[in-house]
Amino acid sequence: MTAYKLRIAHLYGDLMNTYGDYGNVIALTYYAKQIGVTVDYHLVSLHDTFKADDYDFVLFGGGQDYEESVTAKDLPGKSAEIKAYIEQGGSLLAVCGGFQLLGRTMEFADGKVINGIGVMSHHTVNLNSPELKDGMRGKRLIGNIEIKNNENGETYHGFENHQGRTFLGEGEKALGHVISGNGNNGDDQTEGVIYRQVYGTYFHGPILTRNGNLAKRILKNALSKRYPEIDWQGKLAAIPTESF
Amino acid sequence: MLVYNLFMTIRSKFALFAGSTSYILLHKILHRGGTSLPGKIAYQLDPAILKEFANKIQTVIITGTNGKTLTTALCARVLSQSGRLIITNKSGSNMIQGIVATIMAHAAQIRQANRQGQKPIAVLEVDEANVKAAAQSLQASHFVLTNIFRDQMDRYGEIYTTYEKITDGINSSPKAEVIANGDSPIFARKPYPNPVVYFGFADRPETGDHRAPTNTDGILAPTDDQVLHYHYLTYANLGSYFTPDKSFKRPDLKYAVTKVDSLTPAKSDFEIDQHAFTLPLGGLYNIYNALAAYALGREFGLCADQIFAALNEDSRIFGRQEQLHIGDHLVTIVLIKNPVGANSVIDMMISDPQPFSLVTLLNANYADGIDTSWIFDAEFERLHETKLAKIIVGGQRYQDFSVRLKMAGFPDQIVEQDFGKLIDRIKALPTKNAYVAATYTSMLMFRAELTKAGLAKGSF
Ligand SMILES: [Zn+2]
Repeated sequence: MTAYKLRIAHLYGDLMNTYGDYGNVIALTYYAKQIGVTVDYHLVSLHDTFKADDYDFVLFGGGQDYEESVTAKDLPGKSAEIKAYIEQGGSLLAVCGGFQLLGRTMEFADGKVINGIGVMSHHTVNLNSPELKDGMRGKRLIGNIEIKNNENGETYHGFENHQGRTFLGEGEKALGHVISGNGNNGDDQTEGVIYRQVYGTYFHGPILTRNGNLAKRILKNALSKRYPEIDWQGKLAAIPTESF
Repeated sequence: MLVYNLFMTIRSKFALFAGSTSYILLHKILHRGGTSLPGKIAYQLDPAILKEFANKIQTVIITGTNGKTLTTALCARVLSQSGRLIITNKSGSNMIQGIVATIMAHAAQIRQANRQGQKPIAVLEVDEANVKAAAQSLQASHFVLTNIFRDQMDRYGEIYTTYEKITDGINSSPKAEVIANGDSPIFARKPYPNPVVYFGFADRPETGDHRAPTNTDGILAPTDDQVLHYHYLTYANLGSYFTPDKSFKRPDLKYAVTKVDSLTPAKSDFEIDQHAFTLPLGGLYNIYNALAAYALGREFGLCADQIFAALNEDSRIFGRQEQLHIGDHLVTIVLIKNPVGANSVIDMMISDPQPFSLVTLLNANYADGIDTSWIFDAEFERLHETKLAKIIVGGQRYQDFSVRLKMAGFPDQIVEQDFGKLIDRIKALPTKNAYVAATYTSMLMFRAELTKAGLAKGSF
């Protein structure tokens, strides 16, 4: 029997790790183990090299403003390979700050604007931005949130906690539409993003621990790319899905 | 200017009178300490009231995100060896109002001590955001800094924001001495205008080269582009840290734990500066608290023997963990609210030589922290290193914890959503010992059931 492997890169996992983001690795490992897949976890941090072909799944989490600004300075050295990884259909989950940094620009609470790597077309403003509707400014978006993806019919539950407001750009779809809570910007009812095999979100919780349906979807994508001959969908359907 | 000063003084005297009166009245009416309300009344009358006491007492401020309460209790006990009157606040009165109340409740004693030519010492636990106000008005002589960890409960909980608040207070009192945890990298980020001494762990050789576990906060050097390395870690991001280019490293320690002999949940044997010492408490973090109190005592000129005598004297001050009997089970209740705290509890369980059961109670009300995701930042996988025999998962957010423990490799759980049935569940556990790890409001709800069943007193 072949030993199947899922090679995970946790981008800046020692800096961008707020609010249980690592739990997404725990969840994927939990499901992978039940279908006979071993997880190889790699931390890819400051000054480390990231190579697109070395990984089957990438997690890019959120951080405090300070860590996020340090991460942003290091990112240009890795952005070409991250771009290659995404464009060749690599699976990636980006949460909060990681989601923001994959886009064009992001703005800190103090008004400082920095460039993301721009591999995706969304951009993020801060909570005081004139881009926001009256009444939506000045407050952090915190609380429980539920969204629905109208294409696949799945609903996802989580907890959002962000000051940044993200607006999706060309070629991007939302991860879901807001049923309750705020979502990307509290205005257009979108939450998160889907672009190729990239899933971005403001959900903590963490998203894959509470939404086994999404964890399985991502796992299936990642494994099918590496081992296309195997029926991963069937294997995953045979094990229980944690969802609450 | 003269008029202003005179006015302030009269106002302060009035505030003092009004505050004292309300303290006495409330105390009589409510038959309880009433720590916050009388202080609030006085504070609203005159925030400058504390300044009246600046030259009447000497003030030590203890601050940091974790361990303040116990460290304050230990510091008070240690400094009582000086023979001077000690004034200290209860936890929960660590904001400026609570401090005013504490000082005013002792105004008569302070006056009396002053008349006898003695200056009492106020040993105060101070909330991080209140350090500046307290230090400036009381002209603090010492700051004791425990640590700064991120608390998921606090939505502004960036550790560097907390750090700025504390250093703001310290910088405003440049003559006061800083006694800081040297193992915490954040306390050495910037130079202080103040005299500084550091305490920490020096129980291992300075030869290793390790990194903190991935999921650790606060591991960037002030150079902004280097992740810290460690010769060794004690817990969280604490330890003997350095950067590969040697531009930043742990400062020299003046006071150190030189050896750890044995750790159990109920007792820690270790050495500080080669003196053997026993603490009737488990948990490395408590050794840090004792070390902080030791460092303060030494800076006050006390000798090691005096300090150890004070710390050994009475174990009632270590009342943070509550134990009680349920049927023939010995149940230890511990509060959990963030990953560092939960990891410390797990460490304690690892040091328990007896088999035990674990009851987790998770709520997500405001006082618990409304975001439960922190449970995925704590290392419940390490429970495999313990003699854990049975798990009960409860609380309003039982599902979160149930999945957390399943994913940590513990599929065999009793799930009990009903607080009213927990006591019977505990009575049926296979082990004599059980830990109840609960968030704040779930602990209160569990306590209410214990009270109903006549197993615990109503208030605590
Ligand atoms: Zn976030």
